[in-house]
Amino acid sequence: MSDSASETGAANPSARGLVIMPARNEATRIGDVIDGVSRALPGARVLVIDDDSQDETVDVARAAGALVAPLPIHLGYGGALQTGYHFAVRRNCAWLIQMDSDGQHRPEDLPALLSPVLDGRCDLAIGSRFAPREDETPDYEMDAVRSLGRRSLALLGRIGGVYVTDPTSGLQAMNAAALELFTSSWYPVDYPDIDVLLLAHRRGLRLCEVPVTMRPSPRPSMLHSGWMPVYYAYRMFLSLWALSAIPRSGGGRERDSRGG
Amino acid sequence: MDRSVELERLRSLFLNAPESDATRALMVIGSLVLIAIVLWLVRRRALCEEHTPIWIAISVGLAIVSLVPGMLGTITRWIGAWTMASTLFFLGEVCLVALCLSFAVRHSRTSSDLRQLGQEVAVLRATLDALEREHLD
Repeated sequence: MSDSASETGAANPSARGLVIMPARNEATRIGDVIDGVSRALPGARVLVIDDDSQDETVDVARAAGALVAPLPIHLGYGGALQTGYHFAVRRNCAWLIQMDSDGQHRPEDLPALLSPVLDGRCDLAIGSRFAPREDETPDYEMDAVRSLGRRSLALLGRIGGVYVTDPTSGLQAMNAAALELFTSSWYPVDYPDIDVLLLAHRRGLRLCEVPVTMRPSPRPSMLHSGWMPVYYAYRMFLSLWALSAIPRSGGGRERDSRGG
Repeated sequence: MDRSVELERLRSLFLNAPESDATRALMVIGSLVLIAIVLWLVRRRALCEEHTPIWIAISVGLAIVSLVPGMLGTITRWIGAWTMASTLFFLGEVCLVALCLSFAVRHSRTSSDLRQLGQEVAVLRATLDALEREHLD
């Protein structure tokens, strides 16, 4: 299976890699997403982390050819993601892509997202809806609430020295150095967002953004439900405060990390 | 007469009130019963040994306060309270807050352990899945 990967072009992985998808009750959508990944990155292993779904997500994912890591208890998005990181570290993966299982992220974007990581230009590549691109202007529409949330998080990032246009993007590619950091106890499992990027920056990982196109999420954002935005902001500030206890990493990577 | 002087006299009246033997006996019995319950629970394996220090400390503290004459009065004067009863309530509340906080810390640790266990189970099942497939292919 892995032999066929090397003959399909430069952007394709020759080293061992993994595409992970946290999923919860996505039986209706996840099959198409896995098929799309198999077409976009032939030979890549797909791991679906099933966060205690109540529907047929596990069976659909297995039938589509993905490996499935079924969590026995509901851990939430961050806990599910970290399960994927643990699996990748255990299997000595050289790279990993994380994407949503609800069809919001397009498999066609994966090769472009992965190439800066494989080329060694960065340790963590973030798929951004808002990054400037050559061919077309960003066309993703956000409503006022989401837009405000995105701008506030981007501002928080800037204060911490991370320059990203899409801090809530769940579409990311990373190498083994990032995986090592994200499987440590420092990883904020509750709401991994801008705090993950700040953690990565603080520990000397190099970040970069890759322009991608996303479909609007089929699910309502949690930023729309009652007091959740207030609670979210509170958790985020607490998480950032906890971040300040983590020692900065010196090392050779530090000098490159400013450009991202 | 100055009103503040009146209040001072009133407070010293409260503080110099003779300690009731019944209250003292109740406190001694209470602390001894508490120690006995904690030890019994440990013996029955209903209470882990690592959870006992805070309970033992509270019951021994209560025993000392009730057995040493004048100690409660001294503490009352020292913290600025008027009656020994309010000192007891205050100290009790401090103990409760300390207990709750220690439970919250332990609960957080348990949640984290549970998360790691859940992740480990999922990773192992995925590994098994992968091995089975490689074997079948």
